Amino acid sequence: MSPEQFASTGAALKWLLGLAWLLPLAGFCIEVLGGYWTDRRSRAPAWLAVGCIGGGFVLSTIAFVTWGSATHWGAFAVVDDHHGDAHARGQSPDAAPAAVTGAQAPAAPAEHGHPHDGPPHGHDAAHASSPYAFALSGSFYNLATFGGLSIDIDYYIDSLTIVMFMMVTLIATCIHLFAMGYMSDELTDNYEDHEVHLPGGRHFHRPGRYYRFFSYLSLFCFAMLGLVLAGNIFQVFVFWELVGVCSYLLIGFYVERKSASTAANKAFVMNRVGDFGFLIGLMILWTWFGTFRFANTDPAQPGAPGLFQMVRDADGHIHEHGAGLDRAVVLNDGLGGAAVDAASGQPRSIPFWLLIAAGLGIFAGCIGKSAQFPLQTWLPDAMEGPTPVSALVHSATMVAAGVYLAGRFYPMFVPEVLLVIAYIGCITLFIGATIAIVVTDIKRVLAYSTISQLGYMMLALGVGGWFAGLFHLITHAFFKSLMFLASGSVIHGCHHVQDMQEMGGLRRKMPITAWAMLVGVIAIAGLAIPTPWMAIAFSGYHSKDAILATSLAFMSQNRQHFLLFLLPLATAGITAFYMFRLWFMTFSGKPRNQHVYDHAHESPWIMLGPLVILSVFAAVCAVGGEGGPLARMLFASEPTQAVAGAAVAGTVAVNLPGHALIHEYHTTAGIAALLAALTGAVLSYVFYGAGLVNPATIRSQLSGLHSFLIEKWEFDALYDAMFVRPVHVVARWAQGFDQKYLDGFLHATGRAVVWISKWDRKFDETVVDRAVNVVGDATYAAGASLRRLQTGRLRQYVMFIAFGVLGLFLLMFAFLPR
Amino acid sequence: MNNDLALLSWTIFLPTAAAAVLGVGFRDENPNSIRAMRWFTAGVTFVTMILSFLIYQRFDPAQAGMQLVSVKSWIPSWNVEYRLGVDGISMPLILLTTVITFLSALASWSITRQVRGYMILFLLLETGMLGVFMALDFFLFYVFWEVMLLPMYFLIGIWGGPRREYAAIKFFLYTLAGGVLMLIAMLMFYFNSGNNFNLVELAEMARAGTVFSREMQIIAFVLLFIGFAIKLPSFPFHTWLPDAHVEAPTPISMILAGVLLKMGGYGILRIAMPLCPYGTQVAAYALVAIGAFSIIYGAFAALAQTDFKRLVAYSSVSHMGYVLIGMAVWKIGEGGELIGRDYWNMGINGAMFQMLAHGVSSAGMFFMVGVVYDRVHHRDLNQFGGLMQKMPLYSGFAIVLFFAGLGLPGLCGFIGEVFVVLSSWNYSPLLAIIAASGVILTAAYILWTIQRVYLGPEYRGPHPEALSEMNEREFSVAFTLSALAVVLGIVPNTMFRLMENTTDQLTRTMQQGYEATREEPAVELSLTQESPFPALPNR
Repeated sequence: MSPEQFASTGAALKWLLGLAWLLPLAGFCIEVLGGYWTDRRSRAPAWLAVGCIGGGFVLSTIAFVTWGSATHWGAFAVVDDHHGDAHARGQSPDAAPAAVTGAQAPAAPAEHGHPHDGPPHGHDAAHASSPYAFALSGSFYNLATFGGLSIDIDYYIDSLTIVMFMMVTLIATCIHLFAMGYMSDELTDNYEDHEVHLPGGRHFHRPGRYYRFFSYLSLFCFAMLGLVLAGNIFQVFVFWELVGVCSYLLIGFYVERKSASTAANKAFVMNRVGDFGFLIGLMILWTWFGTFRFANTDPAQPGAPGLFQMVRDADGHIHEHGAGLDRAVVLNDGLGGAAVDAASGQPRSIPFWLLIAAGLGIFAGCIGKSAQFPLQTWLPDAMEGPTPVSALVHSATMVAAGVYLAGRFYPMFVPEVLLVIAYIGCITLFIGATIAIVVTDIKRVLAYSTISQLGYMMLALGVGGWFAGLFHLITHAFFKSLMFLASGSVIHGCHHVQDMQEMGGLRRKMPITAWAMLVGVIAIAGLAIPTPWMAIAFSGYHSKDAILATSLAFMSQNRQHFLLFLLPLATAGITAFYMFRLWFMTFSGKPRNQHVYDHAHESPWIMLGPLVILSVFAAVCAVGGEGGPLARMLFASEPTQAVAGAAVAGTVAVNLPGHALIHEYHTTAGIAALLAALTGAVLSYVFYGAGLVNPATIRSQLSGLHSFLIEKWEFDALYDAMFVRPVHVVARWAQGFDQKYLDGFLHATGRAVVWISKWDRKFDETVVDRAVNVVGDATYAAGASLRRLQTGRLRQYVMFIAFGVLGLFLLMFAFLPR
Repeated sequence: MNNDLALLSWTIFLPTAAAAVLGVGFRDENPNSIRAMRWFTAGVTFVTMILSFLIYQRFDPAQAGMQLVSVKSWIPSWNVEYRLGVDGISMPLILLTTVITFLSALASWSITRQVRGYMILFLLLETGMLGVFMALDFFLFYVFWEVMLLPMYFLIGIWGGPRREYAAIKFFLYTLAGGVLMLIAMLMFYFNSGNNFNLVELAEMARAGTVFSREMQIIAFVLLFIGFAIKLPSFPFHTWLPDAHVEAPTPISMILAGVLLKMGGYGILRIAMPLCPYGTQVAAYALVAIGAFSIIYGAFAALAQTDFKRLVAYSSVSHMGYVLIGMAVWKIGEGGELIGRDYWNMGINGAMFQMLAHGVSSAGMFFMVGVVYDRVHHRDLNQFGGLMQKMPLYSGFAIVLFFAGLGLPGLCGFIGEVFVVLSSWNYSPLLAIIAASGVILTAAYILWTIQRVYLGPEYRGPHPEALSEMNEREFSVAFTLSALAVVLGIVPNTMFRLMENTTDQLTRTMQQGYEATREEPAVELSLTQESPFPALPNR
């Protein structure tokens, strides 16, 4: 893009997406005062919220078109039949392993740029010349400037930003509409809360809070879109915290429920633990790079590089020197040379271990936000919030923000960090899936499933599958929000019964919900009908397939990390099992609770409409697999080094697979995943669909394991003992130290002073005063004795004077010199 | 120039004049008269606020040095002058003082006993505070410092809670002890500089590096630092604060937290640092460490409180730790050269901003506590709950202000905290990590407080019938503070713009002073020896 074109497109996108970002904020400001400009029975605040976020979707779509035409749809043109079998089979095998087997020393990075000898993937060429060809960066306004340091509110718009904007606004619009129906029992002046029991067996009554719910949703949309639009990592942190507080407000929406407010606190504090790491990462980056911007792609400002451009050159390589603790990464100046420190004239560099620490710090934030091990326990509790919140905040958008950030920040992650990410994701996906098998609360099954799926995304990023991770982020957002809304429809229809043991057979009562849920279940399980040329499948198959292909390719290069493929593969089966279990327990079979069944009803169209829309997207959003439009959009933003793969012989030897290698394992992984999913689904049918085996017998045989899973691997108890209680103990110590020692010292000093002054007084009275008194007494006595002279008789006085004068004259004559 | 003198002097002494009017003009304490006195006081503080805006209008942020300098001879035989001026460090704090004082005057309706005396002392207090922030003469500074102390003593000791005498005496003794240390340091500078009290000239001598010896700078810095750290307050000189806050009436708590604590930070920036650059550098690590420890310690102590006001008081100890860190992140290399000036600038600016932000958020928190205390007359955290149901508007504002204290982005507390923390890694990664870990504890105690007070189904304490929504007066105070918190959080540059040139100059001169002093050969310390004028080093 020429500078003029860049400027005009940048300005257009800045305002389009900026407006889409700020509309919900404006909506929030009006809606939060809904109690004043309208009454509690009005839907006006909800329509306003829908209008704002819907307007955001329209603006995002316009932005998409603007961006596409400004780049001449380059993102779509460059990926030519990437997925074509002949192409991949023909070219890759001989060339790709050379790039990833570790045969090359890291010191010869130039060779990495050409992993294939044959015709490269089109976007590889685009990346090699200019990795930010489709990205526009710029600034909204300045927060503060200190000499050469500047913190701004920036924007960074590439195809990933636009995809995220469209996904968030579309899903949020659907969820807003759904919530209008779901929350309609708040449209009252006297809402009775059956969950809150007051002393005396009364129920709790309060005015409805319809408008407040929508104002919080609007605030959340603002924060989430800001997070996506952010052009620097500091700004991400700002909106990171803001989505966190929105999540806090929404989880604790029923403020009168103790469980809700506790869950809200837990969510916020555990996120803060992650943010503590995030903050450490920020400090390191700030001190060593002096900038927070991702990348500066403005052709008018060459030589003002962002973080990515400083760490990696145009080919995505890190230049480093030294070994051990002296190992350091040379920073680039964005013009093709090394950055030079202005003061000393020395080339700038950052110690390698600090780059790892910074990466791990930022990732710690992602762990908190995306509920990864070991900070995963807040997400299931967050289901205390209303179901639309769970759909929007705690499955589709906010919890995925951690994955988004890990993807956005990918160029800053060195392979050591990626390996940690991969293992964290791997552990998480397994823990989440195992717990989901035993949970019977319909929303909590979905919550654990979310944890598990987020683990998949992290795993994908960690094993070098940037595309696979973000692909799954988008598809998961659609099918998981769909399933949450469907579960919300069930809960609404069953009058707030959430336990699946009370359900069953609801298919006959709420058919549309049941079918919508089935679409989601098939999508997440990854079932497909394989055909010779392509698989007919819903979105989840494509993205999960991409993840497993990446991890299989990774395992093929790093045999010692075999768990990174086997656990996800097994978990794919578990996923299918627990998702079908959910569907069978809820919708098929006989009603387990006749009362619930009798009163169950299908939801109104304002709730079913969004379900239908989301079902369509859950089914087809990934159409075409890795050659489809969504995939092409994502590929256009893929960091260069993820395309080629890399061989690293550092502290940990890791070989990251490139596209070509991944492609090679695609078919194998796809078949394995499909088999696993089928096994899971069939087992689920055996247990819960057909009832051939009674799950209760299995449960009683494995009661120890079952209770371990029911207790969520005992994490809550562990954290309570490890952190919560010790903190309170230390707090009491601090309080006691103040009272006992600091104040004690003070009081002792005070007492000492009083004691000294008592002695002082005694000294005064006995010594000083006595001396004074002696003088005084003597004077008094002298005076008293002289008193006798004062007789008052004039003659006597005259006589005294006469004698006195006489005496003076005698003395004068006697002593004065002549 | 004369104009400036009049403007600054009026700003300082208008409240005093008004106090005199109150003393003469309002006699009997019938309800009408009380109402008149309240509105009169609020009006005077409002006019003072307008005057401070006029100062702001004349103030040029592009200039780094002192502006609007106005001098009158005062005690010529001692070389004491009545010297006032404003720069980028004092300007924001003057604005903060007048705004918070005005809002506190509006919050003073809760005072019903001896209103006249209260209002007189209240106005005198404002004079003392503004004087401290404008004085450029050390002696004058000291006088204003002590002037501010006495009204505070009586305001706590007469209008306070049940243990008011204890709290007032504790406050008085602590601050007086600090004052005495400052007095000693002041005399050290006076006699070592050739009888000079002019702070600007003293700073210039320190920059030249030939006047104040290394040993003297260290001793003077320690004395001054303890004096100001008591006011700040930082661990271990903080125990007066919880008692004073708990016993003080609401508006006085607002002033105490909103303005008085800032004097500690201001004193360090205005006097301790520029006058003893060498001493500052020597003590820098200790300062940052004390700051980091205060953050953690204050947060832990806050977590253990059951008294609402005590909790907010300990949160002040925690928050002011950031101020100490930000000021002291002055990293030098082995050759004494400055490493990362921009980070130190950022730290000082962040510390300044943290003072302003804390002034808004903690004053707001104390006001919010006061609103509910006026209604139910207790502060036991375990006997609240459900206020959100009874007083939704009040709870909304309270949560905004508590989140500002928590350091939520978009609100003022975030900018100060995070800027300080970001700047501190350059100085010491370990201390930076300790300071950053405060975010977890802060979130814990604030959220737990919100849960215990505002959330839940029902209010559990005495006088549930008294819980009525805020009236217009209370609303306007809460609204103003919340709006300030939001505006400062979103466009912090409004304040940074004022300070950055001055702080930049401060770091430059201090570095020059440090390097110059470092080169000087060692000299003997002299506390009493008079040196001839013009100043010469004591050798």
